[in-house]
Amino acid sequence: MSAATRDAGRPPGRARRAWARFRRDRLALAAAVFLVALALAGALHPLIAPYDPAEQETGRPFEGPSGRHWLGTDDLGRDVLSRLLEGAATSMRFSLLVVALALVVALPVGLLSGYVGGRLDNVLMRVMDAVMSIPALVLAIAVVAVLGAGLDSAMIAIAVAMAPGLTRLVRGQALAVREETFVEASHVIGTPAARVVRRHLLPNVLSPLIVQASILLGLVLLAEAGLSFLGLGAQPPTASWGSMLQRAYDSVLSHPWHVLPPGLAIALTVLAFNAVGDGLRAALGAAPPVRKHGRLGLTTVSDRAAEPAPDGIEPAPDAAGAADADGDGALLRVAGLRLDLATPAGPRRVLDGVSFSVAPGETLGLVGESGCGKTVTSLAIMRLLPSPPATIVGGTVRFDGRDLLRLPFRDLARLRGRELAMVFQDPLASLNPGLTVAHQIGQVVRWHEPDADRRAAARRTAEALELVGIPAARGRSYPHELSGGMRQRVMIAMALVCRPKLLIADEPTTALDVTVQAQVLELLKELRAELGMAVLFVTHDLGVVADICDRVAVMRAGRVVEVAPVRDVFHAPQHPYTRHLLSHVTAGETELVAP
Amino acid sequence: MLGLVVRRLLVAIPMLLITSVLIFGLVVLIPGDAAVTLAGGPDAPPGAVEEVREELQLDEPLPAQYLDWLGGVVRLDFGDSLYSHEPITDELAERLPVTLGLAALVFGLAVPVALLVGVAGGLRPGSLLDRALMVGSGAFLAVPPFWIALVLVTLFAVRLGWLPPFGYVELRADPGEWFRRMIMPAAALALGMAAVLARQVRGGLADVMQAPYIRTAWAKGGSTRQVVVGHALKGSAMPAVTVLGLQVGVVLGSSVIIERIFTIPGLGTYLLEAVNAQDLPVVQGVALVFVVIHVVTSLLVDIAYGWLNPKVRAA
Repeated sequence: MSAATRDAGRPPGRARRAWARFRRDRLALAAAVFLVALALAGALHPLIAPYDPAEQETGRPFEGPSGRHWLGTDDLGRDVLSRLLEGAATSMRFSLLVVALALVVALPVGLLSGYVGGRLDNVLMRVMDAVMSIPALVLAIAVVAVLGAGLDSAMIAIAVAMAPGLTRLVRGQALAVREETFVEASHVIGTPAARVVRRHLLPNVLSPLIVQASILLGLVLLAEAGLSFLGLGAQPPTASWGSMLQRAYDSVLSHPWHVLPPGLAIALTVLAFNAVGDGLRAALGAAPPVRKHGRLGLTTVSDRAAEPAPDGIEPAPDAAGAADADGDGALLRVAGLRLDLATPAGPRRVLDGVSFSVAPGETLGLVGESGCGKTVTSLAIMRLLPSPPATIVGGTVRFDGRDLLRLPFRDLARLRGRELAMVFQDPLASLNPGLTVAHQIGQVVRWHEPDADRRAAARRTAEALELVGIPAARGRSYPHELSGGMRQRVMIAMALVCRPKLLIADEPTTALDVTVQAQVLELLKELRAELGMAVLFVTHDLGVVADICDRVAVMRAGRVVEVAPVRDVFHAPQHPYTRHLLSHVTAGETELVAP
Repeated sequence: MLGLVVRRLLVAIPMLLITSVLIFGLVVLIPGDAAVTLAGGPDAPPGAVEEVREELQLDEPLPAQYLDWLGGVVRLDFGDSLYSHEPITDELAERLPVTLGLAALVFGLAVPVALLVGVAGGLRPGSLLDRALMVGSGAFLAVPPFWIALVLVTLFAVRLGWLPPFGYVELRADPGEWFRRMIMPAAALALGMAAVLARQVRGGLADVMQAPYIRTAWAKGGSTRQVVVGHALKGSAMPAVTVLGLQVGVVLGSSVIIERIFTIPGLGTYLLEAVNAQDLPVVQGVALVFVVIHVVTSLLVDIAYGWLNPKVRAA
């Protein structure tokens, strides 16, 4: 059975989907068309060139562009356009052959090295590293020095210089695929190695290899131009863009214009190879999607949000929370908060009128199953969601008398970390891996109190660390040197170093194991009492809620469905959804967790 | 940190040995009788052929030749030139600082430009400024440095007459004049390098700005400058530093052509003179010095990487 008939029955394959995407990339497509046209023009140059490229005195030397010579003539009166076309043939053939040669070496060696691994891999890669440690052009020049000048030696020389990089790429890819479960599974069921390589390794190696090869074509062309420029590549009378540049260079003082045609030809061709490479990378799904930013570090609030919602409509979706948000004397009052996330299918409403309030010194639990919008709510309050995709499209967030949604960035930044602090779910990802934890805590002090000198910042940092039960000396550690519980303590110290009025804790114990969870909760309880701060505690864990919260706001599908003191929620839930949530905690456990 | 340096050195030494075998092995590739070819072909006087055979000990078995050569190299004795019969080491010592000076100026030009362009684009990927900068750097990736050199000469030496078109003055003799003569060659090499680095900085920064720890920095109340300079830049520099190591080899290779264009008496012109004279010991010596420069700079890059990423230091 041939490959074609085998593929015929399949749904549109990876290659076809990639081609469909590539076709829509107009720049890459134009570049590909240009390259094909150039290769054709080069191959057909004996037929289409106006003159024999080697024929001298077709006109006077150094003629400018004219009807007879579109690009003028060179120092020997040869037609520049005809020579450029021959140069296209020289350069394209050279590039294709060198990359093919390098692939012939790189593919088997890389696959073998990556697939077999062990000592063979070690030895092969050491040799490749050694070859790569010789600058490519120096290696090429040295090889040409012993083989003698000429395109053939240059070809071998550059292929030798390019092969190690490709081999490393193939090997790395093969190594990565080898570790995949489905390949291991193939081994277990006894699939022959050759088949595993053909069916699994090769297809996965191919995508990055194709991208790299197209970039490499451009690099090889540059190298050939360099060698020919030095007189080590193409020999007269063969025209190459590099050797044309060399001749133009000899007369650069008298006829500077002549360096332009071959130079532009090289630049355009390499540019086209790179554009095709970029297009392939995007089409084969190797490039990350590019995002545009609104104001950095600030969720955008759309203009519509400033308009008051018509009476009767806004409170309706969230009556439970709205009643709560009406309360006086609250520290934080979220009312009718609505937020959209941009998706390829258009904006999706993630928060649909969230309302609740937190009194000074109070702990409010924000609970709900994953995806209900509780984390988004906590981030939206501090306007930490990136825009796009997030846009706040309605509501108010009043904190200590100010509407956070109307504050300019500077004023909000002054509140963040000082009066309004946050602890995140994953302490390892949330700490900068490249800075000591003391440095990261001290930053909060230095950023908010420009008067504080280094020593004062260090003292406050040490105090904050002691506060969360970490010896100040451990501050010199990097995040990866600490345990998960220690890291979350560091995050808490960072949040509390300026004694905020409100701490937003977004699932601060979810990433920790059970005993550490209990310690961190205990610590938060102590500190809350000691500092008299309010806490907005986001969690899906009702046991934690019972342990730490004064009141609970229950969220579902972007709305607050019930707000009540914690005792009432557990003993007399009003909303059906709250009862549903509680029903997942079995009867016996309810007794245990309910206060 | 010291551990990292020692580990990298332990990797570098066997690699240098393998490379030295490869470079010495070039002699095997010489078509026909090496002694005849190196002495100038079949027409060479028999005395010269014997002289070459004697000088390079071509009658000895290859391993013996290699060990003899390596023994000399380790004592910084690269033998004598077949052409001038002068000690190669003296010539290398004279030319090495010239090339290193050029390379240093290239770095000094390329790195700040790359940082500036990369940060400007990476903070707002997809913006008009970003796209303009990426198109611009894409163009410089495609243009061979020696063509940039020719255009610079045409513009600043021929048309405007501001700078001398070629020639070299020693840094110690006249720093101002050295700079005037080196700025065009250095710029020709730096533009391509800056383009590559800027793209890395930009990509790295665009990625890092999405990282959770950057969100933490915003939550701590950082201003844009504080967040970018204090947190993002260091993280985004890592891919750029890796590429910096790879770029060293590219710049060293291109410097050979650039030195020739501007008649700078560095290692590159020495290499080309030797190629034209089929002076194999010189070719081998220069190639080895280039490798050592490359390996040492890669080592420095590794150390910089360790400084940026504390995890590497420990691992």
